[in-house]
Amino acid sequence: MSFAPLNRREMLQHAGCGVGMLALAQLCGVTPSVRAGAAQPLSPTSLHFPPRARSCIFLYMPGGPSQIDLFDPKPQVTKRHGQPLPIEKPKLMHSKTVDLFGSPWKFDRHGQSGIEVSRLLPHIARHVDDLCVVRSMVADNINHTGAALQMNTGEQAFSRPSLGSWVTYGLGSENDSLPGYVVIAPNPPFQGAPLWSSSFLPAAYQGTWIQDLNQPVSNLRAPNGDLDWQRQKLDALNQLNREHLAKRPFNDELEARIASFELAFRMQMQAPEAFDLAAESTANQTLYGLDDPATEVFGRQCLLARRLVERGVRFVQLYDTGSAGGPNSWDHHGGIPTGLPDRCRGVDQPIAGLLADLKQRGLLEETLVVWGGEFGRTPTREGTDGRGHHPFGFTMFLAGGGVRGGHIHGATDDFGWWAVEDKVHVHDLHATILYLMGIDHKQLIYRFGGRDYRLTDVHGNVVHEIIV
Amino acid sequence: MRRQAIILAVFVLGALGVCPLTASEQVANEAQHGWWAFQPLSDPSPPNVANDGRAPTEIDRFVLAKLELHGLSPAPPADRRVWLRRAKFALVGLPPTPGEMDAFLRDDQPDAYERVIDLWLSSPHFGEHWGRHWLDVVRYTDYLSPRADEAPEEGDVELFEAFRYRDWVVSAFNRDMPFNDFIIHQIAGDQLSAGGEGDVYAEGLIATTLLSIGVWDNGDADKEKIVSDIVDDQINVVGQAFLGLTLACARCHDHKFDPISIEDYYGLAGIFYSTRVLKSLGPVGLHTVAMRVPLVPQEYVQKRESQLARLAELEKLLKPSTEEATKTESTSNGKSEVSSSTPLPEQQRKQLEQEREQLQNDLLPAPSTALAVQDGATPGGLFPEIGDVPVHFAGRYDQLGPKIPRRLPTFFCGTDRAPIANGSGRMELAQWIASQGNPLTPRVIVNRVWQQLFSQGLVRTPNNFGLLGEKPSHPELLDWLARRFIERGWSLKQLIRIIMLSSAYQQASLAGAAADDHHDSYRLDPENRWLARFPSRRLHAEELRDSVLSVAGRLDSQLGGKATINLHQPRRSLYIQTVRSDRRNFSTLFDAADPGQCVGQRNVTTIAPQALFMLNDAFVIENAQHTAAKLAAEIPTDDSARIARAYVILFGRQPTQSEASIGRELLAAAAQRDPSTAWGEYIHVLLCSNEFCQLD
Repeated sequence: MSFAPLNRREMLQHAGCGVGMLALAQLCGVTPSVRAGAAQPLSPTSLHFPPRARSCIFLYMPGGPSQIDLFDPKPQVTKRHGQPLPIEKPKLMHSKTVDLFGSPWKFDRHGQSGIEVSRLLPHIARHVDDLCVVRSMVADNINHTGAALQMNTGEQAFSRPSLGSWVTYGLGSENDSLPGYVVIAPNPPFQGAPLWSSSFLPAAYQGTWIQDLNQPVSNLRAPNGDLDWQRQKLDALNQLNREHLAKRPFNDELEARIASFELAFRMQMQAPEAFDLAAESTANQTLYGLDDPATEVFGRQCLLARRLVERGVRFVQLYDTGSAGGPNSWDHHGGIPTGLPDRCRGVDQPIAGLLADLKQRGLLEETLVVWGGEFGRTPTREGTDGRGHHPFGFTMFLAGGGVRGGHIHGATDDFGWWAVEDKVHVHDLHATILYLMGIDHKQLIYRFGGRDYRLTDVHGNVVHEIIV
Repeated sequence: MRRQAIILAVFVLGALGVCPLTASEQVANEAQHGWWAFQPLSDPSPPNVANDGRAPTEIDRFVLAKLELHGLSPAPPADRRVWLRRAKFALVGLPPTPGEMDAFLRDDQPDAYERVIDLWLSSPHFGEHWGRHWLDVVRYTDYLSPRADEAPEEGDVELFEAFRYRDWVVSAFNRDMPFNDFIIHQIAGDQLSAGGEGDVYAEGLIATTLLSIGVWDNGDADKEKIVSDIVDDQINVVGQAFLGLTLACARCHDHKFDPISIEDYYGLAGIFYSTRVLKSLGPVGLHTVAMRVPLVPQEYVQKRESQLARLAELEKLLKPSTEEATKTESTSNGKSEVSSSTPLPEQQRKQLEQEREQLQNDLLPAPSTALAVQDGATPGGLFPEIGDVPVHFAGRYDQLGPKIPRRLPTFFCGTDRAPIANGSGRMELAQWIASQGNPLTPRVIVNRVWQQLFSQGLVRTPNNFGLLGEKPSHPELLDWLARRFIERGWSLKQLIRIIMLSSAYQQASLAGAAADDHHDSYRLDPENRWLARFPSRRLHAEELRDSVLSVAGRLDSQLGGKATINLHQPRRSLYIQTVRSDRRNFSTLFDAADPGQCVGQRNVTTIAPQALFMLNDAFVIENAQHTAAKLAAEIPTDDSARIARAYVILFGRQPTQSEASIGRELLAAAAQRDPSTAWGEYIHVLLCSNEFCQLD
């Protein structure tokens, strides 16, 4: 959870770290001893640029959604269905897809922008004028684990802080009774915690994983729910702690710990309200598809995401792991003619509901919505009716939070294999997300083990073309 | 010729937009040649100090010299109660019992401190406490995902045998295994001999688990990438843990700051590519599983295999006559040797049944296995034989450059060493790292020990002694300690002992009156670099949980074995599962190391969810009630005496008058609600207090 955890020692560590100091000096805006009062939230502050987005909701489709069936129509592939790919594929040791496999689904133009969207996503299609469809995404890894790590942390193999951790480290939380970075996944995705790990950043910046929406945060309920008695105990505790502290006048960690108990007490009263989906109107529950078993699970995830960003949570990530498809539900190596429609049906209305709801509440302007997986899928066929992993050119979309709506960015070649125009690498996406939230990705730095680290390592360019 | 090839490759890759290499044969620059950590160990004499009455040991003279230089003076000695609590947590990670406290306070012999240190150095719980720090450094995890205790299945990627390594580390610390041996075991223990011909040196095999429990994707399609990541993980952990070097930075290009070239990296990579970790690459789309090595001699394995083969044969022969129902099945597969229509002659069947029974009795039990490594390459991999490997441009196995002989980094080892000709070369690597002449190894471990005792190292970047690391606060002291460490046979216990006997370790952390007299030290040295006071600290995650169990009298003292998933089991926290895939657990909440990182030093954070755990988690509440029950049994009637006893058990001291009266008030209020839980409620408050989790 994100409750301003910098203590004095860490402040001093950071202060010695050159470039990072700038970020930190601006970040804090408060004295080290106040920051050391770890129960105090980081004051919401813009870091390097005026922020376009206050919060981010990342809709993660684990396994890799098939861009050629959803957002990147390829008439040439349909025309040559069953023929070999006429260009050379990269020499991957174990690539095993064969001939071109035209999409079984039709695309229609939508909205004023006329962007083509597959008939598998009829609800999202209605919001196409709010979407910026990036058709030229590239990633470096063809395995789920490496690619999912890269999409979430920038690094393919080793533990690094996740995107959400960096954002909360940079911007703090606007609500001190809720975690600043929340991950909602009904089942753990393959890699689990490393995807939302704070890694070497303090544990407070780790994503708080909510698996069961009915039990969102551990230990949030006082024994027997008796808050009055707990208050009495806390008063006694405070008296004892004050006496202990009086003999140790120079120890601000002790003071911080006293404050953390008070914050914990407040959280018990305030946090459950934020998670209470029953408080939503029936109309709104229907908007997210809560009344339909096919859309209920992801609908609840989306609705909770809105309630959280509304209350100042900085970063929310939803994993679509609630279906029978489990942790890699979008990994359609086979059975795509039934598997993909199933997943699309599961998320289409909930996502459209989220976009509509954010918009009608005026939250879309300040909330960046990102949709995608760790890679896409091959335009070629795997087995009888599947597609393989495809990091060479795939689609993601962004909406709200300063993003240019009704816009297509980049393109893949005629066969949907390589991204050929305006390529956007995962590092570029990260740089752009940080930029939209007011952070210069080159200046958000943390020193660990004697080295400066950033989310984008030595890479990343902000894609200004997709920003209004 | 080689240089030209590289330059050409750089040109081509540059044109392709691939991250180009910097100059290939990096010439170390002046800063690197002059860097303190790369110089041979010096042998400084303890300096003269103005007030040598305050520097009873040689360590203290080094410390006092710096204090005097900065206009500071050491704090007065800590109260004996405070020191005992500090020392027991430092050595075994547990609070002193009231009996231990009494005995120490009554012991007026001059060597009382020394005897207490020796007592706990020889405790079997010493290794549990100090081993945990080493496990942080080497990214140890019990499991990848939370597991109930279940048997491994074929193709299961879980690290079922990792606990053997953890137990070995604990035992090595307990035996005070010389640290140079400890290194060699972990890098090349599979090549150490047990003595007798054909005997298996299980300890050596288990120690190499260090190399196999790495952080690598055991995933699906691109198997070669996995192998190259395993190699990188091994180089990374060996570099950071033993040498304090970020060797893995040279995977894609020459190290930007330290004298390690990409050729040095691939010289080492050849060693690890020639080290087998995997059973096989595994089928595409399925997981890659680590190899298991049996901890028994080869003959045992062979004998068991032939027993199993014969048993299978007997089953087949006997099947038709014993199981009539399967007749058709066994004939239809066409392989049945005995047709169901011609049952075995009675005598023969009896004989075979006897043989089967005998064999079932004689069958050797399945051998224990370890996640050990062996010399040999990954079958079916890109480099399937022991041998040298080429540079991987930008770290990519599909962009190969010239072959680099297996060798050690040239800046440190020179260029005239013979390249490795036989085997992987891990033994050569291990021996160099563990050699007396290595300037890094002894400094790095001595610094880790100092850090564990003083909360910060003399060098505050414990895993990085390279040019981006911090310089030492007391370089002479570090070298002096490293020299003594080597002289005393690389003994960690001796090192800990001499540091704890220094007056620097015995001084007060400035609580109470001492704080008022000594507040200048905070102003002049807020970070406490010069040690004008003892650094107070928070208990680590494990210490906190173990203390809760310990004061309740419930801590299970059993050593070793598989880790449990159940936080409520009263085993030491070392045996509560660490997993990489789910970090919603107690130890993560309280800043334990991320088992996916080489963690040289833990963070210290204070967050509300920690308070929620202390306030509401059943673990704390139950143990508060257990503690209360224990107290009630010890002191059945007198409330004031019972409060005092609680303070002695929890904090090692008597309560003040006001503390006792706060206690009585709370007890009265609690008794009105429910007399049966009143004392538990009170103890719960004490467990939540700052004092319980803080060491002066």
